[in-house]
Amino acid sequence: MLDRDRALSLAETVLKAAAGADQAQVTVTIGDASYARFAGNYVIQNLDAVSTQITLTYFAGKKSASISTDDASPDSIKRIVAEARDIAHRVPPDSGFVSLPKAAPIAPATHGYFDATADATPDDRIEKLLPVFARLKSAQLSSSGFMTTQTTTSAVANSLGVRAAFTGTMSGLQLKAIAAKTSGFATFYSPDFSRMDAAGVSERAAAKATLALEPATFAPGDYTVLLEPSAFAAALKALTEGMGADNVLEDKDSWMVGRIGKRLFSPHLTLRDDWSHPLFANPPFNVNDGAQTKKLTLIDRGVVDRYVTSTYSANKYHVANTGHPNFPGNAVIEPGSRSREALLASIERGVLITRTWYERVVDPRRASITGITRDGVYLIENGKLTKTLKNFRYFVSMVDVLKEVEFSDTQVLTEPDADTNCSSVLPDAKIAKYHLAAQTSFA
Amino acid sequence: MREASDVTSAGYGVRALIDGSWGFFGSDRFDDAAFDVAAARATALAKSGTKIADRVFALQPQEKVVAHFETPMTKDPASVGLSARADMLLAAERAGHVAKSVIAGYAFLTIWTTVKEFYSTTGSAVTQMLRQAGAGCGVSALGRDQDVQMRGGPGDFALYQGGGYEVVERAGLHALMPEYGREAVLLADAPALPSGVRDLVLDSGVLNLQLHESVGHPLELDRALGWEANFSGVSWATPDQIGKLRYGSELLDVYVDNALPLGMATVGYDDEAVKPARVPLIERGILRAFLTSRDTAAQTGLVQTASTRAQDWSCVPMVRITNIVLAPHEGTLASIIADTKDGVYVAGMRSWSIDDHRLNFQFGPQIGYEIKNGKRGRIFKQPTYTGVTPHFWGSMDRVSGPEDFVVWGTPNCGKGEPEQISRTTQACSAARFRGVTVGVKSDA
Repeated sequence: MLDRDRALSLAETVLKAAAGADQAQVTVTIGDASYARFAGNYVIQNLDAVSTQITLTYFAGKKSASISTDDASPDSIKRIVAEARDIAHRVPPDSGFVSLPKAAPIAPATHGYFDATADATPDDRIEKLLPVFARLKSAQLSSSGFMTTQTTTSAVANSLGVRAAFTGTMSGLQLKAIAAKTSGFATFYSPDFSRMDAAGVSERAAAKATLALEPATFAPGDYTVLLEPSAFAAALKALTEGMGADNVLEDKDSWMVGRIGKRLFSPHLTLRDDWSHPLFANPPFNVNDGAQTKKLTLIDRGVVDRYVTSTYSANKYHVANTGHPNFPGNAVIEPGSRSREALLASIERGVLITRTWYERVVDPRRASITGITRDGVYLIENGKLTKTLKNFRYFVSMVDVLKEVEFSDTQVLTEPDADTNCSSVLPDAKIAKYHLAAQTSFA
Repeated sequence: MREASDVTSAGYGVRALIDGSWGFFGSDRFDDAAFDVAAARATALAKSGTKIADRVFALQPQEKVVAHFETPMTKDPASVGLSARADMLLAAERAGHVAKSVIAGYAFLTIWTTVKEFYSTTGSAVTQMLRQAGAGCGVSALGRDQDVQMRGGPGDFALYQGGGYEVVERAGLHALMPEYGREAVLLADAPALPSGVRDLVLDSGVLNLQLHESVGHPLELDRALGWEANFSGVSWATPDQIGKLRYGSELLDVYVDNALPLGMATVGYDDEAVKPARVPLIERGILRAFLTSRDTAAQTGLVQTASTRAQDWSCVPMVRITNIVLAPHEGTLASIIADTKDGVYVAGMRSWSIDDHRLNFQFGPQIGYEIKNGKRGRIFKQPTYTGVTPHFWGSMDRVSGPEDFVVWGTPNCGKGEPEQISRTTQACSAARFRGVTVGVKSDA
């Protein structure tokens, strides 16, 4: 927890130096991230980096400037304050800015830091990987992926008295098991490295990769699909990235526009934002401004309930501050009542999608997306996986396809999104109709 | 003014090589104790890898390079005050509000300065002052049915090049915005491009991103060797196909040149102290080489292309798209359009998607103009097109000449785990492709 104290102390020092500002905010991020990255059952990059980033946002009325540095020396702090003051006085005002958040109690985090993760050594990570490689070699499989352990501290302090800090840990294993013409993907994330289920990950990935020797062709069309959490997380992003006040109230390009309060989705779908979920290691405040993050129900049994706000957008649009960036960063989908196996068994003819790639929103007002499946897509016949298929390009509107969805009874923590660095807590999703538009020539 | 920011970062990365196994440690703490920690942790990381060292992964470079390089510039960004920058951006933004249906506009500029020093146990000492800049702008308009369409640029999204403030001025935002405003207004009420098979003319800015995604990335050798398989993917092209694989038509001549004037990736030496050289990647449509690092070149025997870059001090250098060039041929964009009987001309970029083998892609430009009998006609929104890499490049039958040639940059190319962001260049003119599937419907 030393980093937490160090981060707050740094923030205080910078705030003091910026005492001439009408308002000022300092954010400090201290990170230590290690990766053992592998390919061909061999570690190709074994790395670790420690970093400290300090960002001062200096306000002169409605004018502001942000300066970031990783140099915490007194000279550096003097420099960033002088530069921020100089810029803030010379830029035009932002009419949308009202105020930084005022001091308010912040709910204490109940969990998120684990010594086993923070103290993991290079040897610890390699020791976890050795049986993975042995398992894959025994099946004549190659591999690609990484094992990571990370500790991150976020602190926010402002001139109105906000003081917020949080240290969390995260560990993860991503594994693509590679056969000659097929592959299988599995992953596991947990704040606690001692829970790392490397054996389970390698078994799941190897089993998928060896389901068939050759990927089969399969006619494009509308199919029932079972999206594993990795694939579902990417698809769900089409909804969550349109759930910020800026999208709904200013840009007006969100699927939520005109639909709040309406039943839009299956009654099975309940989307919450809950930083305190036991699978997360997330701060209880908005790391961008230090306001308490509220626990929210965003979609309640299919009914669109609300969007999220930051201090900036809440003040600008005169709505309540939910303490979020411009999207729900702690997304949780409520689990269903049937197991993954039972969901699979309920599909007479369909497709299992484990992971997708280059997913893009084509039309934000319908949350329409296109993307490509990757690293294992499988035919389901009479409740069983029967063939490995070549990949598909898909086009779907999440607004449409989530009208008929059912979830498995087990939630997992997904890998962080590449853009937002946020994970979600998700079950598998069985979607009744998914448009697989065209098939590629490979698996 | 929504954002005015300045980000400074200073640190160092230590790469240690023990028995063929690399370890890397990055730190931003500058004191003797921190240096000792960095050396010890880099060594521990390398040693841990030797536990599975059933083969020698990397060889120690032997060369000693002592050199200095600075990106040329004609206008020092420091000579342009913040007020002048803000005034320019605000004036450009205002110039886009050409009608009541324009609901938002934006204009931005970014300037990077990187002081990079490289030292190695072979005695190398390379110091570099690298400069890049970029600027872009755009407009959104609301249609009668509440449809919002945007138009912006220049190029795919903005102009990014190596150099100083002259790059920002070259982007010419103020002059572009009125036309972007007019096009956005028309797009907001325009029909979507009907699906079909048409000849397709790509503006240089769109072609730059097409080149990046379907030529640049597939020719990264680490990807072709499977090192990126879990994240950014693999490649449909492999080293054993050099000299045999037909990548595209006879007009497809692509080379890497990391000393290219205006290139975002132009350096004196790369992040493994390799000097740039101009290397043909594809000649007359045939695969000739890959973008390489020391490790990947040593494993395959391929030529080094000075293509390793680290995002910053905290990251391991890796193979990146650097400066790739599609050689211009003849004619102009206007002459290509005049020579097209029934087609679509597209410009600007909205969204794009390509599979992890870099084969099957779909691009969604901002605007499409119908071409009928050599003339630009109706405007279409959502002028998407789709294709398969070798078929698409194989259908290229016109590449315009130097008049249309632009050195474009991409400021945010992602790759690696943890993900690293890199600045790349794709230089090209305009081109025509025959028989392309266009107008793919999102709800097809």
